[in-house]
Amino acid sequence: MAIASKVMPYDEVRRDLWRPLSGASSRYIVVLVLLSAVALWGLVAWGYQLYRGIGVAGIRRPVFWGFYLVNFVFWIGISHAGTLISAILRLTDAGWRKPVTRAAEAITVFALMIGGMFPIIHLGRAWLFFWLFPYPNSRLLWPNFRSPLLWDVTAISTYLTGSIIYLFLPLIPDVAQLSTHAAGWRRLLYRTLSLGWTGSDREWHALERAMKLMAGIILAVAVSVHTVVAWDFSMSVAPMWHSSIFGPYFVVGAIFSGIAALLVVMSIIRKTMHLEKYLTPHHFNNLAKLLLLMSLLWLYFTVAENLTAWYGNEPKEMSVFGARVRGNFAPYFWIMVFCNFAVPFVLLGIRRLRSILTATIASVTVLIGMWLERFLIIIPTLSFGRLPAAWGHYAPTWVEISISVATFAVMGVLYLVFSKLFPIVSVWEFEPHSEAEE
Amino acid sequence: MYLIGDFHDQESTVRAVLDLKANGFNADDLDVFSDEPLEFRRGVLDRRSRMSLAVVTGAIIFCLLAIGFVHFTQYNYQLVTGGMPTFSFWATGVVFYELTLFGAIVTTFFWFLRESGLPRRASRPSAPMREPGTICVQVRSRLDQAEAAHRLLERAGANNVRRIGDAT
Repeated sequence: MAIASKVMPYDEVRRDLWRPLSGASSRYIVVLVLLSAVALWGLVAWGYQLYRGIGVAGIRRPVFWGFYLVNFVFWIGISHAGTLISAILRLTDAGWRKPVTRAAEAITVFALMIGGMFPIIHLGRAWLFFWLFPYPNSRLLWPNFRSPLLWDVTAISTYLTGSIIYLFLPLIPDVAQLSTHAAGWRRLLYRTLSLGWTGSDREWHALERAMKLMAGIILAVAVSVHTVVAWDFSMSVAPMWHSSIFGPYFVVGAIFSGIAALLVVMSIIRKTMHLEKYLTPHHFNNLAKLLLLMSLLWLYFTVAENLTAWYGNEPKEMSVFGARVRGNFAPYFWIMVFCNFAVPFVLLGIRRLRSILTATIASVTVLIGMWLERFLIIIPTLSFGRLPAAWGHYAPTWVEISISVATFAVMGVLYLVFSKLFPIVSVWEFEPHSEAEE
Repeated sequence: MYLIGDFHDQESTVRAVLDLKANGFNADDLDVFSDEPLEFRRGVLDRRSRMSLAVVTGAIIFCLLAIGFVHFTQYNYQLVTGGMPTFSFWATGVVFYELTLFGAIVTTFFWFLRESGLPRRASRPSAPMREPGTICVQVRSRLDQAEAAHRLLERAGANNVRRIGDAT
């Protein structure tokens, strides 16, 4: 747990955190090219789907929501990383959040951008997505605001707008400082983004006030966003979907996977950008404990959800429940429980085992587990609906798999580019710390 | 004209601000520039803010606009609702909630720009040049007050007091 033994001078902090912005190592370029290639492959797959039609995907009667919707829910969940870490900890004035917030807020923005693409990819005729916008189209129809899908559009648009502003506001003082040291196009970029920031007390005062207000607002939006995503399912009278706890269940799962994503990203940038002095074991320890707490909460909700269905013994619900826990989907279900509960509980619950490495391993398993959870919520219910005559199976095609894998690559590319343009740890917010604090 | 004093610590900055205020300069004449936010105790350099009020107002306006808009669309092209109300507040409540918060977000951002004076126009006085880590106190002063302000800044511990701009 040892970190800097003395208070670090501001110049040193700035030098350390600005260092990753200059130059690009060969390793960085190789990773960027590889990820870009995977992302490009996903684009080719999507292009193929646009050209040939949605039939090239595995979604067909009765399973109309496949990998695309699984990924949509998964990525919207990941976007909760920034909100939780930044907004909650900002409101409670938790000092340890400061080196973590920007990395988290960037995840939120990128995950939302990726997640928001999936309903459009899922449309098939993606070029008509603007029909969701509230304007009277050629048939003089308005969008149906009573539809949960329209709720999604407004919720995600609001969250994305708020998250971009929430990421941008604390970036202003940093880019203002960078603009005085950078040259060429970077100088122009930083000067434009800094909006002429001078560091006057009026500006600081307005910034701090705006950040406090934004933290409160963005929390309310974040909770509502995943609740609305949950309501996409629970508002329909489908077995194992029509549940009153789906809202909070989804919110807990979103925060759970968000923290896991943040831990993975922090662990990577700590190693690759040599930020050991700033992202200390103390931060990983705190986040690991939070991840453990969320794991237990997730287990509580999972048990509550499944136990009531099992005890009720309603035939339609039981066919979905049976498929999940002892039928076709059982291997995925038990892998999910292993990944989301067993691994974090052992690795993070036993204090001696808790370290940066184990927290990262647990986080990776949680991400796998949470993706499976989204899959298990969506697919079995559609496969085993109310009419046994209409039961069917779902198998994803190479198009869906390619697009799904590509989104992870897109996340990597966006993050790599962002970390080369802006300090991944907020310089002005970073308060030099001493060993005594730990 | 402007007088600018460089300080190395917050205590001497606070002393300078309090001395200047005690000698007839008001808070609007003073600006403090720093690399990181300085937390002054209450009464030193209070800046009035109406951001919270503006945000609440913005949220309410957006909420009313959202209700009005959805109400209009529901009647502009009526869907078959099977005997249910054409305009259903509860079924569209999520849209109102989200757009209310959208209003709060947008208002926060624009009110932040308004209160901070950003984006800064070229015609406004720019920030004084300063060494990294130093705190600058900038005083807007009339010509006849300049000597007094200079003396007060030096007495509080400014190690370099300079004057810029025309006499006003």
